[in-house]
Amino acid sequence: MDPIHHILDSFYMDFEPFGQVELPRIWVVRRSDQGLGLDVFGSTSSAIESGAYHVVSESSGVDTELAGQSAEEAHGQGAEHGGYLDAEVAPASGEIIADLSISRHLVFAWIGALFTLLVFISLAGRYRRGIGRDSAPKGIFQNLFETLILFVRDDIARPTLGEKHVKYLPYLLTIFFFILTCNLMGLLPFGQTATANIAVTGVLAVFTFVITQFGGTKDYWKHIFWPPGVPTFVKPILVPVEILGMFTKPFALAIRLFANMSAGHLMILSLIGLIFTFRASFGTAAGYGVAPLSVAFSLFIYLLELLVATIQAYIFTMLSALFIGMAVEEHHHEPDATHESVGEPMIASANAEAIALKS
Amino acid sequence: MEPTALAYLGAGIGAGLVALGAGVGIGNLAGPAMEGTARQPEATGDIRTSMIIAAALIEGVALFGLVICVLLAIK
Repeated sequence: MDPIHHILDSFYMDFEPFGQVELPRIWVVRRSDQGLGLDVFGSTSSAIESGAYHVVSESSGVDTELAGQSAEEAHGQGAEHGGYLDAEVAPASGEIIADLSISRHLVFAWIGALFTLLVFISLAGRYRRGIGRDSAPKGIFQNLFETLILFVRDDIARPTLGEKHVKYLPYLLTIFFFILTCNLMGLLPFGQTATANIAVTGVLAVFTFVITQFGGTKDYWKHIFWPPGVPTFVKPILVPVEILGMFTKPFALAIRLFANMSAGHLMILSLIGLIFTFRASFGTAAGYGVAPLSVAFSLFIYLLELLVATIQAYIFTMLSALFIGMAVEEHHHEPDATHESVGEPMIASANAEAIALKS
Repeated sequence: MEPTALAYLGAGIGAGLVALGAGVGIGNLAGPAMEGTARQPEATGDIRTSMIIAAALIEGVALFGLVICVLLAIK
């Protein structure tokens, strides 16, 4: 349970030998008099201390003993294995409408977003001053990011989007760097991967979905609802499939990123956890014996994780660009027998010629 | 057998099958990629890029299965 426990989201930040930092809890509550209220607490323990909230134990509904405990006792219990930190907390009266608490993954997503913002704002300032436009880019910072930005533009945006790539390039750059930062942050000590949370990747996929649909040209919608070049009796089968495909593509984007990130980190934690499992099952000597092997495997998987983090950021951006490109491209069909619109201009021009010849 | 035991069994067998599927898929793609690179060393860059993209997509599908296995094992 422990490796999974480290991957999942929770309401405290774990700096293992040094202690834990509890994160604020914010709830939208419907109180007993049917009014809505916003409860903000600095930490879970203060929420429990205030008496308005108590821990819900899994077996029976409400654990009233915990509500009366002092903070030290509850904290002592918490320091072992989460305890009250991981338990569900319910209000004494009323019910929770929405849980807006700050959680670990949220904090790290903010850090990732902040990092991306800072990097790009300072880069933009440099380019506006002319360094990098009129003269060569100076310094490691600018050169490094210019390489990555040009990579996104030339290998991802231009081939898939064509001339319209300028319009969508900011979005692609943002998601590429955000996902890359979040993925890499999870590999640092005391770091958590915000993208190992299905909510974060889901939201990114929703962004791609929204941008694809809003950028879609008439050709795109026509292809979905009235696919050309297909015999009419197949269309009722094909149209639902196309509509389903419209939704499964962003869904697959979200799940691919989420599964890759959480599975990778889970593997690393499991391999290191092998040491503890062996020690628990076979004694301390077995634990020491397995340690070099386990660390070697973990190192290998760690390096693989670095590669996978970068590749997944690239794949997400590339597929987003591909979907947007497929939606916004305008291309001409070859006129075929079912297209009456091709005949009309010909007839119109023939009429015009006839009128011109007559006069 | 009780449902929990069956769920764990399913998760374990499923994870093995997922790994098998991913291995076969990516192996099928890496072999001809190596051959192509051996035949035409100038195309190494293009082949490598396409291979990595295809490998990531195949692994994405494998991980869909893995997510279901993990769901089975946890719940």
